[in-house]
Amino acid sequence: MLLIHCPYCDEQRAELEFAYAGEAHIARPDDPAAMSDEDWQYYLFVRANPRGRHHERWRHTHGCGRFFNAVRDTLSDKFEVTYKAGEPRR
Amino acid sequence: MSDSLTRAEPVSSEPFAAQGVTITLAPPMARLSLRARDRATLEDLLGRKLPAKIGATAGEIACLGPDEWLLRSAQGAAIPLGEGLPLAVTEISERAVCLIVEGPRAAEVLMAGCPLDLELFASGRATRTIFETVEIILIRSGENRFEVEVWRSFAPWLQLALTTAAAQLR
Ligand SMILES: [Zn+2]
Repeated sequence: MLLIHCPYCDEQRAELEFAYAGEAHIARPDDPAAMSDEDWQYYLFVRANPRGRHHERWRHTHGCGRFFNAVRDTLSDKFEVTYKAGEPRR
Repeated sequence: MSDSLTRAEPVSSEPFAAQGVTITLAPPMARLSLRARDRATLEDLLGRKLPAKIGATAGEIACLGPDEWLLRSAQGAAIPLGEGLPLAVTEISERAVCLIVEGPRAAEVLMAGCPLDLELFASGRATRTIFETVEIILIRSGENRFEVEVWRSFAPWLQLALTTAAAQLR
């Protein structure tokens, strides 16, 4: 079973308790109306999909309920680090 | 009108026993969800200390998240709701029922469906977690005693799952 460290509970917990929530550090544009369709489409749909280090959001749904960020290797599925929401990108 | 209503529990209140493990429905109790960014505002309101660490308990109160606590107490206790303060006290007494799993092998029964390592889950700890696919709040209230809070509609399934796990202990 994959174990994930929750930065709020400060514990390794089973993946079953967590929900994946997409790529991390994607800020919603301040003024969507001022954007071109192309930029808006890029914001909505285009994601990095890297081979290797991936910054992603997770939620400890069946635990403390918090969203947090993680760096996971998409090749090995190994979690490099997890950190609280709002902290700078690692 | 409420006088004509009788209380109906979602599961049998007959205790179950097998392999030295008993599984019992706890009597009805009051439950309150306590939310606040600043723990001190809740402590001032309630006049008691709240556990600061997620997973810890202090008396009737368990810390479930960085801004979330669960208070379970006897029915009828007067708890202030703190209107106007930057906090939320929500009455959730009837949302869940509590199944008590007790006995020397109680942890083994729970580990049949719960991914936590209960050997590391000391007495006095509490957490939201999962049993198979059903969310529970697990409270270890003694070395051999666990209280399992589960939403009412999931209780019949959970009771069946726990009693089946207990009956199959070898
Ligand atoms: Zn957590």
